Amino acid sequence: MAGKIKKMIDHIIAKKSNNDSRLTSSLNAKMCLKGVIPKKYDASSPDDPVIIDKLQNIAAEWGVSLAGV
Amino acid sequence: MNIIKAKSNNKTAKGSVEEIKGIFGEFEPRMVLFFASSNYEPEDISAAMKAAFPGCDVIGCSTAGEIISGEMLKGSVVAMAFNSAVLNNVKIEVIEGISEAVDVSDAFRSFESFYGKKMDEMDFRQYLGMVLVDGLTCAEESLMENIGNKTNVFFVGGSAGDDLKFEATHVFVNGKSYNKAAVLALMDVKSGFDIIKTQSFKVLDKVLVATKVNESAREIIEFNNEPAAVAYANALGVPVDELSSHFMSNPLGLMIDDEPYVRSPQAVDGSNVKFYCSILEGMELSILESANIVEETANALQQKVEEFGKISGLVNFNCILRTLDLESTGQSKEYAEVFNDIPTAGFSTYGEQYLGHINQTATMIVFK
Repeated sequence: MAGKIKKMIDHIIAKKSNNDSRLTSSLNAKMCLKGVIPKKYDASSPDDPVIIDKLQNIAAEWGVSLAGV
Repeated sequence: MNIIKAKSNNKTAKGSVEEIKGIFGEFEPRMVLFFASSNYEPEDISAAMKAAFPGCDVIGCSTAGEIISGEMLKGSVVAMAFNSAVLNNVKIEVIEGISEAVDVSDAFRSFESFYGKKMDEMDFRQYLGMVLVDGLTCAEESLMENIGNKTNVFFVGGSAGDDLKFEATHVFVNGKSYNKAAVLALMDVKSGFDIIKTQSFKVLDKVLVATKVNESAREIIEFNNEPAAVAYANALGVPVDELSSHFMSNPLGLMIDDEPYVRSPQAVDGSNVKFYCSILEGMELSILESANIVEETANALQQKVEEFGKISGLVNFNCILRTLDLESTGQSKEYAEVFNDIPTAGFSTYGEQYLGHINQTATMIVFK
């Protein structure tokens, strides 16, 4: 399977930033500092369980629901 | 003038504070921020500053050098006062015991109660956080991550210093002195503000991947699956025993949006390399090469002046490694003069805070 990481990243950042571009940029940086580099993933990226686990933790820390993603 | 600054080189806390109070004169501050050399007894300088300005919040920290418009100082106190035309409000909280564990929950509950809004609902264009933290606790990463998880409000600041003695650093709040603590100030800014993060490096086309790390010790055991010191030295093309002499000019950068978040190496320990901030396993880091600090700072500031029209005040959290670099190249005066026409106060830090914990950077708060 592929593409789940990109979907999760986009969902988390969109929800947390309300699509405000300055917040999108700062949340992207916060995610990088937590060890997930958003620009490394696209729709064809394999569903690496280690990264998916990191993103689930980030979503929980940021209070973002991943339901339906 | 809604933001004013003052300095004193007086050797006593009492004398310094009297001089600063005299310069501030009839100004009615909503908040006073001060940065004091570790030559002053921390309890004395904090108590004296609060006694001089009893009607407002007074916060600060110890330093590894002080900065004021046009001057880089040692052994002095610099202060900046903000009136209610700049700050609608400010709420201060202290988080103690950060070397054991960091939890900002109580502080954030207090902010929410004071402002009547949830931290994750506050407008980041209106509210601004300042963070001053003990610079010897290695707790900055955890502190900034904790803050960043709970709010979109930007918290900017620096790690307190002690004039390169590396014995004890202090933060000051309303007459008290703390170590192993952080001060958070959440400001409701009336006049507009922005943040400058500037570092002066060229990004080289060489990447080191942290493949084995001791995160809590800020130590890299392996880069690119090789002993860290060997891989780092090889990437620079220098013998391992000369590696540490390249640390200042060739730190590493986590590249985010084409901008480095600098990780500065501190020491070689066997074949490991210790850093001034943590690096996670798997992080890809570019090797950096130092450029002209004065020129890049002046450019960053000029852009902001053009955007704002006029800057009414600036707080500069400037890494001690930049200060040492400026001293070694004889550019300290030239750097200080970049801030000649802007009311500026700041200090040489043991680390800078913006989104996370970073090194060899200046983070600045710019008030419109």
